[in-house]
Amino acid sequence: MELWLGAINLGFLYAFMAMGVFITFRIHDFPDITVDGSFVTGAAMTAVGIVSGVNPWLALSLSFLAAAAAGAATALIHTRFAVNGLLAGILVMTALYSINLHIMGRSNIPLLSEPGLIAWAKNLNPGLPSEIWLCLLFGAAIAVFWFLIALFFRTDFGISMRATGNNPAMAAASGIPVNAMKIFGVALANGLVGVSGSLVTQYQGFADIGMGVGSIVFGLAAVIIGETLLPAKSIWIQALSVIAGSIVFRLMVALALYVGLNPIDLKLMTALFVLLILIAPKWIARRRQTSAALSGLSLTPSGYKKARLVGALIVCALAAATAVVFFRPAFFAGKPTIRVGIVQLSDHAVLNMTRNGFLEEMADRGYQNGENVIFYIEDAGGDMATVNSILDKFLQKKVDLIVTISTGCTQAAINKIKETPIVFATVANPFIIGAGQSDTDHLPNVTGVYGAIPMDRMMELTGALLPGKIKIGCIWDPAQVNAVFNVRQLQAQIKKHPDIRFVGATVTGSAEVQQAAQALVHKGIDAFVLVTDNIVFSALDSIIKVADIAKIPVILSDIERLSDGALAACGYDYRQSGVQAAHLADRILKGENPADIPFERYKKLTIAVNPDVAARLGIALSAKLLAQATLAGGHPQKDGPSKRLAVFVFSDNYALELSTQGILDELRRSGVLKKHRITVDVKNAQNDYATAQAIIQDIVRQQYDYIITASSLALQVTANGNKTIPHIFGTVTDPYRMGVAKTARDHLPNLTGVATFQPVESAVSAMRALFPKAKRVGLIWNPAEANSEACTLKAREAAKKFNFELVEKTVGRTDEVKDALAALLNSGIDLFFTSGDNTVILASATLAQILMEHNIPYFTNDPADIERGAFFSVGADYHSVGVETAKMAIRVIHGESPKDIPIREYVPETIGVSVKLADRYGVKIPDAYLAKAAVIRR
Amino acid sequence: MIQLQSIHKTFHPETLNEVRALRGIDLQIRRGEFVTIIGTNGSGKSTLLNVLAGTVRPDSGKIVIGGKDVTRQQEHQRARTIARVFQNPFLGTAPDMTIAENLLIASLRGKRRHLRIGLSSARKNRFREQISRLEMQLEDRLDHLIGTLSGGQRQAVSLLMAVLNKPDVLLLDEHTAALDPKSAAQVLALTRSFIESENLTAFMVTHSMSQALDLGDRTLMMHKGEMIDDISAEEKKRLTVDDLLDKFADLRKAEKLTDEMLEQLRREYR
Ligand SMILES: Nc1ncnc2c1ncn2[C@@H]1O[C@H](COP(=O)(O)OP(=O)(O)OP(=O)(O)O)[C@@H](O)[C@H]1O
Ligand SMILES: [Mg+2]
Repeated sequence: MELWLGAINLGFLYAFMAMGVFITFRIHDFPDITVDGSFVTGAAMTAVGIVSGVNPWLALSLSFLAAAAAGAATALIHTRFAVNGLLAGILVMTALYSINLHIMGRSNIPLLSEPGLIAWAKNLNPGLPSEIWLCLLFGAAIAVFWFLIALFFRTDFGISMRATGNNPAMAAASGIPVNAMKIFGVALANGLVGVSGSLVTQYQGFADIGMGVGSIVFGLAAVIIGETLLPAKSIWIQALSVIAGSIVFRLMVALALYVGLNPIDLKLMTALFVLLILIAPKWIARRRQTSAALSGLSLTPSGYKKARLVGALIVCALAAATAVVFFRPAFFAGKPTIRVGIVQLSDHAVLNMTRNGFLEEMADRGYQNGENVIFYIEDAGGDMATVNSILDKFLQKKVDLIVTISTGCTQAAINKIKETPIVFATVANPFIIGAGQSDTDHLPNVTGVYGAIPMDRMMELTGALLPGKIKIGCIWDPAQVNAVFNVRQLQAQIKKHPDIRFVGATVTGSAEVQQAAQALVHKGIDAFVLVTDNIVFSALDSIIKVADIAKIPVILSDIERLSDGALAACGYDYRQSGVQAAHLADRILKGENPADIPFERYKKLTIAVNPDVAARLGIALSAKLLAQATLAGGHPQKDGPSKRLAVFVFSDNYALELSTQGILDELRRSGVLKKHRITVDVKNAQNDYATAQAIIQDIVRQQYDYIITASSLALQVTANGNKTIPHIFGTVTDPYRMGVAKTARDHLPNLTGVATFQPVESAVSAMRALFPKAKRVGLIWNPAEANSEACTLKAREAAKKFNFELVEKTVGRTDEVKDALAALLNSGIDLFFTSGDNTVILASATLAQILMEHNIPYFTNDPADIERGAFFSVGADYHSVGVETAKMAIRVIHGESPKDIPIREYVPETIGVSVKLADRYGVKIPDAYLAKAAVIRR
Repeated sequence: MIQLQSIHKTFHPETLNEVRALRGIDLQIRRGEFVTIIGTNGSGKSTLLNVLAGTVRPDSGKIVIGGKDVTRQQEHQRARTIARVFQNPFLGTAPDMTIAENLLIASLRGKRRHLRIGLSSARKNRFREQISRLEMQLEDRLDHLIGTLSGGQRQAVSLLMAVLNKPDVLLLDEHTAALDPKSAAQVLALTRSFIESENLTAFMVTHSMSQALDLGDRTLMMHKGEMIDDISAEEKKRLTVDDLLDKFADLRKAEKLTDEMLEQLRREYR
C-alpha cells in the first residue's frame, strides 16, 4: 500500500513540474531544458531556507522565485540574443549546476529532523496513516492548483499567453509583447518546477545536487501520457491530463518495481513506453491510411481519432493493471470484515517487539492485513492524550477488538471502553490498574497477558555469572509498593542460596540513588542486583557509573535497560507477550467472550547478557549460559518465522561492490542467516533518486525485518523513508553530515552503522615521511560529491598539520580533469593527491601517466589506484568495511536495538605502493609501510 | 495620418545576398484613405507593409503615424493603431485555439490584458453578433478550433479580427491571393464593406490590376524598392486596365521602366 500511495504522492509532487514542462513545451512550443537545473534550484532554496530557520512557506516562495529567475534567464538569452532555445536552456542548466552548489554550500543538505511543510502537514493529521493523510492533502492541494492554473489559462492574460505559443506572428500583430510573454511563460514554468523541487526535497528529506537529472524526460513523459489518456477537449481537461500523466507515470514505475523489474531496466522501459505511446497512434493511423488508399478512400478524421483511442487504451490497460494490483485485496476478497485496533504508548523497542510478535502470530493464524482483517496500528508517541484520541478513532471505526500494549494504554482503554473487547499485553500488573481482582475475576470486556519478575531465575542467573561466595547490593524506594514486594521476593530467594549475601540500601528519591550506590560499593558488594523500581531505574545511569568505576557488574530485572551498560538481565520475553496476546485475540475473534478468558501470565522467560560488558569485567560467560541467553536483550531465536533483510545500495561502483560483497560474506560466514532463517535481497537504485525512493517505499511496504545500506545516499533515502525497520548503514564517509546523527550515541533510534572516513591524514602523513622537502600538494576534486567534499576538508586540515600548501582545482566532470591537472602543473606542484572522488578516479590512469612524465608522485586513498599507475595509497579496505557493517547488523539481528549501538568509526587502512616509481623518484619506502602494504607494484 | 520619410531597408547588407528592398520611400497618406499597391515580385511591397507594422525596422528614415513618431516602436506597441491580415490564412489566427478565443485576442489589440476571465457570456454574445457579419454560419461554432475552418473562412475571420477593435490603419497583404476565386470574391466584398463602413485608413497589396483600379482612393506602383507611380482617385476612374498598361509604356519612355520589366508587368497583370 505504501508503495502505491507513495507513488501517487510523488505523482502529485511532480505534477507541478509536469505542468511547468507542459507550459514550455505545449503552450510556448519552447523546448526548455532548464528544468533539470531549476528543479534542483527549487530544492536547494528550500533546503537552505529551512535549515536556516526560514518559514517553510517563505522557503517555498523563494524556491519558486529562484527557479523562475533561472527560467527567465533562459528565455531572455533566447529572445534577446536570438540564441536557439534548446541551447539557451542547456547553457542555463549548466550554469545552474554551479549556482545550485553555491546556494547549498555543499552537495547535499539533509532535512531529516527539520520542520518543513511535510512535517507541518503530518502534524495536522487527524489520525490517518501518514501516507494516506498526505495523499489526501496533496490531492486537495493539487485540485486547487489545477483549478487555479486552468482558470489562469482562461483569463485574458492566459489566453494571450497561449496565443503567443500557438502563433507568434499573429500574437505580435495583435499587440502581445511576444518576447516578454515568452519570458514570463518560461519563468512561470520553471517556477512551478522549482515548487516541485522544493516539495520533493521536503518529502524525501534531503536536497542533493544530482536530483534534477532526467527531470525533463519525466516531465515530457507525464505530459504525453496525460495527453493520450485524456485527449484535450478544453484547457480544463488539458491541465488535468498533465496531473494525471504525472501520477500514472509514477504508478507505472511503482508497478515495474512491484513486479520485480530490475531497476537497471527501468529507464529503458520508461523510454520504450513513452515511445510506444508516441508512435502507436500514428502507426495505426498510417495502416488505416494505406488500407483506405487501397480502397480508394482517404483517411477520415475519425480514423485518426480511433488511432488516438488505441493510445489511450494502452495507457488505460496499464493503469488498470496497476489498479488491479493496487486494489487486489478489495477486488478479490470483498470488503474486510474484521477490524482490530492496536495501540502502544510509544515507539519503544520493547513495545514494538510485543506488537510485531502479535502481528506475526496473527498472520500465522490467517489474519492477513488488508484481506480479511484491517489492523489499525497506532502509536501515541508517549502522550496519554493521544492514546485517548486513538481510542476514539478505534470506536469510530467500529473495531471488533482493541489490543493495548503497555500499562498506560491499558489503563486508558479499560477506563474508556466498556463494550468492545480489550486484550492487553506487556503489562506488569493488571490488578493495580483495576482490570480485575484475579486471573478469572476481571472486567467483562477485558483480558490479556501479564507478568512480574521471576526472582528465582534472577538468582540463578546471578549465581551462574558470579560463582562462589558473593555479596549483592540492592537499592529500592520503600514507598514503592511494587518494589518492596519485589525485594521481599528477592530476599526469600536469597535464603535458598547459602553463598549469596544481601546488602540493602533504601532511597527516598532518585537524587539519592548515586549516594546509595556508592555506600553499597563501600560495603564491598560484588554486584548490584536491581529489581524493578521506577525511582531507582530512573537513576540507573548513576548506578552504572558507580559500578563501572568499581568494576562490579549490574544485574537487572529489565531486559530493556540492559544495553545501558548492565552485564545481564532476566525478564519476560516481550515478543512472546505479543504472541500470547494474539492467541487471546484469536479466541475472542472466533466468538469467545473475554469475560470467560482468564488473564494469562507470560510463558517465556528471556535471559540476556551483554558480552562486551562481560569482557570488560573479565567475567567468563559459560557455554550453558550463552546457550540460554539472547546476546543482548531481545527476543528468542528459535522457531521464529523466517525473516527478510534488504541490502540497499545506491549505485554501482568499485567501493560499493566491495563493501556489498563484504556484507554478504560476513552474513553468510557468521551463520546468522541460517540460524534466524533470514533471506537477503540486494537492491540497487542505479544512481537514480526516484528509483531509490521507490525502492525504500517497497522495502517498507514489504515489511522487511532489517535493512543494511551501503553508500551515503542509500543511508539518507532510507533514514527518511523508514522510521521503524532496524537499519544498519556502512560505506558512509560522514553520517553526521547526512543528518542522521549528532554524535556516535545520539542518532536516530532505528539506525546505526559504520562510518568510514577516508584515511586522508594517514596519506598526507606518508607524503611528509617520504618527501620531507615537498611543499605544494595539488588536489583535484568535484564539489558536487559529498564524500569528496568531506575528504577535501580533511585534506586541508592534514596539509596544515604536516606543513604542506594545498593547491586545489575543482572539476564538474571527468573530462575536465586533464585540464585541471595541466593548470596545477603549470602553477608548480611537488606532489599530487586525490581522495575519494569518483569523478577524478575515472581519470586516474591518465593522471598517473602525465604525473609520471612530470616526475610528480601521485598519492591516493585507494590502493587499487596503484595498478592504474599511482605511486602511493593509504586507503580503506571496503571489503572489511562491509564485514564490519554486517557484524553490526548481526548484533541487531541478535536482538540489540540499533538505538543502543553507537555509530562506529572504522577505517581499516591498507597501503598500496609502486616500488618502481619509488626508484624513479629516488625514495626509499620504509619497511614499516612495505610490511603493511596490500598492493606492491614492482 | 501617415508619413514615411526616405525609408531605406537593405537585407543582408554587404553580403552576396544583399537585397535593397526599399530605396528611399516618401509617402503621405490622409486619414480614411484606401490605398492599393501594385508592383512586380520582390519590388518591396510586403517589406513596406512590414516596416509600417514594425515587423521590419528600417535602416534609415522616419515613420510618423497620427502625428507620432513610431520609428523606434516595436510591433506589439504599434499594434495599438495598426491591424493587419496576412497573405497566408494560417498566419492570421492561432489554429489550436477556438474561434472565440481568437476573437478575444483580437478584441484586446492595443488594450491591457488582465487576469480577468476571458470569455464571459457577454463577450461571447458580442462575438456571436460580430461573426454573423461574415454570413458564414459561424455563429454556433465559436467553440470550435479555428484550425478546423477552411482557408476562406479563416481569412474572413482574420479580416473580422483585424477590424474588431477599430484600427487607425489596416494593412492587407495579398490577403485573397491564397484563396479559391469564390472565397476570394467573398473576402474582397467583406473587405470593401468593412473599410467603407468603418471609414478605415487602409493599405491593400494586390496582384490584380482590376482590383487595384476598382478598389481604393489611390493606387501606388512600386518597383525595385522605389515608388514609381502614384495614381489619384480621379485618375483611376478614368483608367482601364489597358490604360494602366499603357501607363507602364509611358513610364518606359520616361526611362523609368525597362523593356523586360514592362514585359513582366504585362504577363502578370493580364
Ligand atoms: N526578412 C527578409 N530577409 C531577407 N530578405 C528579404 C526579407 N524580406 C524580404 N526580403 C527580400 O526583399 C525583397 C523585397 O521583398 P518583398 O517581400 O517586400 O517583395 P514583394 O513586393 O512583397 O514581392 P511579392 O509580390 O512576391 O510578394 C525581396 O528580394 C525579398 O527576397
Ligand atoms: Mg509580398
